[in-house]
Amino acid sequence: MDHPTIFSITESELDLNDLLAQITLPATGAACFFSGVVRGVTARGEPHQTLHLEYEAYVPMAEAKMKQVADEIRQRWPDVEGIAIVQRVGTLMPGTPTVLIGCTAAHRDTGVFEAARYGIDRLKEIVPIWKKEVSPAGEQWIEGDYVPKPGE
Amino acid sequence: MNKVKILFFATLKDRTGTRESHLEISAGTTVSELKDLLLQRFPELPKSKASLLVAINKEYAFDQEEIPQGAEIALFPPVSGG
Repeated sequence: MDHPTIFSITESELDLNDLLAQITLPATGAACFFSGVVRGVTARGEPHQTLHLEYEAYVPMAEAKMKQVADEIRQRWPDVEGIAIVQRVGTLMPGTPTVLIGCTAAHRDTGVFEAARYGIDRLKEIVPIWKKEVSPAGEQWIEGDYVPKPGE
Repeated sequence: MNKVKILFFATLKDRTGTRESHLEISAGTTVSELKDLLLQRFPELPKSKASLLVAINKEYAFDQEEIPQGAEIALFPPVSGG
């Protein structure tokens, strides 16, 4: 059976149940999802409030790199069946889910937890998406710190 | 000559006030040479390598690479999605 791989950038509300259904196969017995959420109150580092985040993506490259992340997951965890990687862009308010990374497999001891973790970590390294934080003090682009190497 | 399209994203789009630009470069121009050209034209761009990533035709590109004909080039800071 074909293993579904879903990757997209969307301006629409993320639908967890729909995405789960899309990566659930007859043999699926475990699904692990990670979701990022717009944090309104930050305690770690410099404590501050966030009014909203504005996300932007270089869509065709972002979708190609999401596919690459999914391929890397399949190489590392061959028992993973379905993979979904979806990033919401636009203006997102605190409490709003921003990204969903889902992996399914027959059982929970197949690497689905690690695979979803890898998916979000890798998305934050190589998928061209950026966010601008708007706080009571003003607005600022958040810049990552990962510089891709040849072949990435 | 090689006509290329340059796209700017995130803070680089804001700093240069430019979303898209077109440029004629000579055949065989490398990524490193292109960066120098762009820094002259857009002095607001960051000089630090770690803050200026380059993609050619939707793949990350590196200093010694030659720019293919009609390339779509994107300039952006390290990514911050999620």
